[in-house]
Amino acid sequence: MVDVFDVSLPIVSLVAFALLTVPVFRIIRKSQRKVALVVVWFSAVFLVSGAAVANLASKYYSLPSPQPFLNITLTDTPFASLSSGFMIDAISIYMAVLFIAVSAIVVFYSVFYIGFEKRPSERYLAIMLILTASLMGAVFSGDLLTLFIFWEAAAAGSSFLMIYRKSRVSFNSTLKYLVMIIIASAFIVFGLSIVYGLTGTLNFWAVKQALTILADKQLLIIAFIFITAGYAIESAIVPFHFWLPDAYTAAPSSSSAFLSALIDQGSYYVLIRVLVFILTPPGVLDWTIMLAVMSALTMIVGNLFALIQDNVKTLIANICVADVGYNLIGITSVTAIGLTGNLYFFLIGGITTALSFMAVGLINRHGFKTLEDFSGIGWKMPFASLALLLAALSFAGVPPLGGFTAKFLVFTAAIEANLSWLAVIGVLTSVIQTAYLLRLINYMYSKRPKEGTRIVESKRLLVPIFLLVAAIIILGLYPQIIFDLIQPSINQLDLIKLVSLVLH
Amino acid sequence: MMMAYSLLLVFLLPTLGVPLAYVAGRKSSKAAAILVALIALANIGLVLTTVPTILNSADHRYIESYYWIPMLQSEFTLFVDGISASMAIITSVLILVASLFSINYMEGKKNLAVYYALLSLLSIGLVGVFITSNLLLFYFCWELMLVPAYFIIGGWGYREPYRAAFKFFVFTHAGAVFVLLGIGAIYMVTGVTDMFQAQAALMGVPDIARWILLAFTAGFAVKMAVVPVHMWLPDAHSEAPSSMSALLSGVIISAGAYAILRLSLATVFPAVAGTTFGIDFLHGLTVFGVISAFFGSFIALVETDIKRIIAYSSIAHMGYVMFGLSLFPSASPIGGAVVITAAITGTILHLISHAVSKGLFFLSAGSVMHQTEERDIREMGGLAGKMSFTAVSSTIAALSIAGAPPFACFISEFLIFVGAFEVISVDGFYLLPTVFMLVATVFSLAYSLRYISRVFLGQAKNKEKKIVDVPNWMKLAMAILVIFVIVLGIWPTFFVDLINTVTFV
Repeated sequence: MVDVFDVSLPIVSLVAFALLTVPVFRIIRKSQRKVALVVVWFSAVFLVSGAAVANLASKYYSLPSPQPFLNITLTDTPFASLSSGFMIDAISIYMAVLFIAVSAIVVFYSVFYIGFEKRPSERYLAIMLILTASLMGAVFSGDLLTLFIFWEAAAAGSSFLMIYRKSRVSFNSTLKYLVMIIIASAFIVFGLSIVYGLTGTLNFWAVKQALTILADKQLLIIAFIFITAGYAIESAIVPFHFWLPDAYTAAPSSSSAFLSALIDQGSYYVLIRVLVFILTPPGVLDWTIMLAVMSALTMIVGNLFALIQDNVKTLIANICVADVGYNLIGITSVTAIGLTGNLYFFLIGGITTALSFMAVGLINRHGFKTLEDFSGIGWKMPFASLALLLAALSFAGVPPLGGFTAKFLVFTAAIEANLSWLAVIGVLTSVIQTAYLLRLINYMYSKRPKEGTRIVESKRLLVPIFLLVAAIIILGLYPQIIFDLIQPSINQLDLIKLVSLVLH
Repeated sequence: MMMAYSLLLVFLLPTLGVPLAYVAGRKSSKAAAILVALIALANIGLVLTTVPTILNSADHRYIESYYWIPMLQSEFTLFVDGISASMAIITSVLILVASLFSINYMEGKKNLAVYYALLSLLSIGLVGVFITSNLLLFYFCWELMLVPAYFIIGGWGYREPYRAAFKFFVFTHAGAVFVLLGIGAIYMVTGVTDMFQAQAALMGVPDIARWILLAFTAGFAVKMAVVPVHMWLPDAHSEAPSSMSALLSGVIISAGAYAILRLSLATVFPAVAGTTFGIDFLHGLTVFGVISAFFGSFIALVETDIKRIIAYSSIAHMGYVMFGLSLFPSASPIGGAVVITAAITGTILHLISHAVSKGLFFLSAGSVMHQTEERDIREMGGLAGKMSFTAVSSTIAALSIAGAPPFACFISEFLIFVGAFEVISVDGFYLLPTVFMLVATVFSLAYSLRYISRVFLGQAKNKEKKIVDVPNWMKLAMAILVIFVIVLGIWPTFFVDLINTVTFV
């Protein structure tokens, strides 16, 4: 039996650890063995919260009958499906596992990247833990309001990560980000209020059922437009994407890695969950063409802007935008292969962008920022460059790296959804992607610097980077590891479809 | 002798070779080169162990299958039939030769440990592409050729190597993504990723098969470098180190031709065979083949850079191969087994002969460049006396490329033309192209002879320079290929028998 305790344990434990991090850092800073202690502390944090997630997963899967979803309420009212609370299904379990694993690696990188000896790094790291907790809350939430609260906490809270350096540029871009987020949440709240008015509930399943029998869809369309616009801003879909490259460039690289691997993927998750699974069950609204057009625009604009970038970090940030477009291709077809593509892309897209931000961060530290600076970096900093090279090849979709399988799945999903033109655009834009990524690689390796310019790379930063490199290679060669995790979500998808068809 | 894991070992040995070659290369680059050569030799042996099965079993195939991605209905399926085995053997021969040649040729260059590790990595993709029937695994190997080749061209090439490597990567990757689209479509329509199962399943959906056919052929044609998608080839082939040029010209572009035969023609084409579209498609291939043959030969005739001449000659020869492929039995009834024709035998044999001849040609050109440090043929001459071994092997390579008996390319070109005349009796369209192709052989003789006379005959331009013949490892590498060129010209029976066991459905 899964109860509230099991669900809230990962969230509560992460928040508690976050609050404890500040006093613990005081002790650590005074001690002789700072590095060992900090590693032990964060290992403990992630072991405990990881165990909490594992506990939830094992309890969910040991339930006697396969259930598409599990409503968990805080109060035992007879109208359990109407009240606020949590909902667990295979997708949320998958996302939670993914978040905790990626977050652990990024936090370990941040500890050494940001310099844990200096103040106020303890707050920075605590905020990372809290953000992970709110993402957990978002994936576990069972109604639109809980989702909204947890997700907006994560989205708005991430501005603290962007502003850490306190430079003019970062103030500017964080302000831009906050304004966008506030506008977005206003849109979403407005849309949600209409949905509540129409259906009298905010619970996912109840909303879904109410919408399938809704007679007049005019108001729903208005609500849908507002909610779509809101979530499109937050997940940086063209034409609402322009905050992202600025924000990610201005933030320290560890923040960019965290944002791209967790917050960004979280935003796609929310987009899919709300728009595809709740608001548009089969027969309610057909907006595939609109999604396809947004996806095509995002791929084209993201890649073309990356093509003209001179700053490597901005280039990677623009790839993040393009990645949203590739992810959207998967959403267009709500089928097994599309969903597999999306869920796989969450992981691979996230860790590839995180990996490249981490590698670029390591290189940026030594003052190399633009493409021109990067010439010959392959010899000066061989390990960081190797990681960046593999990340770039994964972006370009070169097997056996993970990016290939991700792209294969989403393109195939587009063909399945009868959107071959979208697949062709995807393929053509990924050729553009190959071109600018190879330009970067050319800069890195074509000019050999003078002897003796080898720079000592920090081993502590290389360890998390190469963990992610190993992940993209292994998951690319044997994607079945991830597919086994995704499989329950696919079974559940069929079940959900079946239920709504029966209701229809 | 039969081994249960022969083909898996063909994959695993070079994979192990990557770290081993790197470690060995840190100590001595010669050890790394010999390691890569030995792995290639072992691979030849492993493929040869499957030959009895191919010749004697009922379906003339040898298959191994391992667990891989059940989610995508994909197994790690390795197979060889007559065509695959021939290509895999000749590919391994060229890898062997390229690594032996590199011992002297790359001497004194930097980071040779990385070079040999990349060569080993490259050989996984090069051989793998010929011995798998799973489309995803095929694509893995197809792209695995790209990255190491990019770095070998860029890292150890001439002049502006990274520019040439960039062109090579972007062009062929752009082609490859269309192949990926085609594979995705096949998976979506049929639910399988095995090429033999896909062939049967595609028969019911000719409308989609038409698009898949076009996507595949366009993608593979880029790798094959037929006009008008040949632009990457002259730069990449001439800027690469000569050992790599031999592999590029011998194997990588042949892989494009093999893929067109195996995937476009044998897997997808049957679904549209006999329709107007199918016939037009084959005629289109013919036209591109003829244009490539003429274009390549003409440029080779006026080019002055020693390696660009050979590079353009590769385009011309891919024109012959494309012409041969377009003679694929189009008039056959749908669903009936097609016995392999002289044209297809000739085409595959031409891939093999061209691989060894062009490999030899590039290695000898590399030897000339290595010893004279010169690459403009107008500045050369009279080298025959000073570099007699290189001169002899160059001449053999050039004559084979020109299609002169008794060297390798003669037999294969002859077979292609025999096949062409067979087809002409059914489809009159092929008459004119066949005549054109016969004319084109004259041009290939012309540029080959021009090359030999400019480089090796006549008076030396630069008398003061002391030029000696190549060191022994380079001689050994060239000698192996010389033997292949001559033996294939006189006794091609081994490969012809192997190829003729294949039937297309």
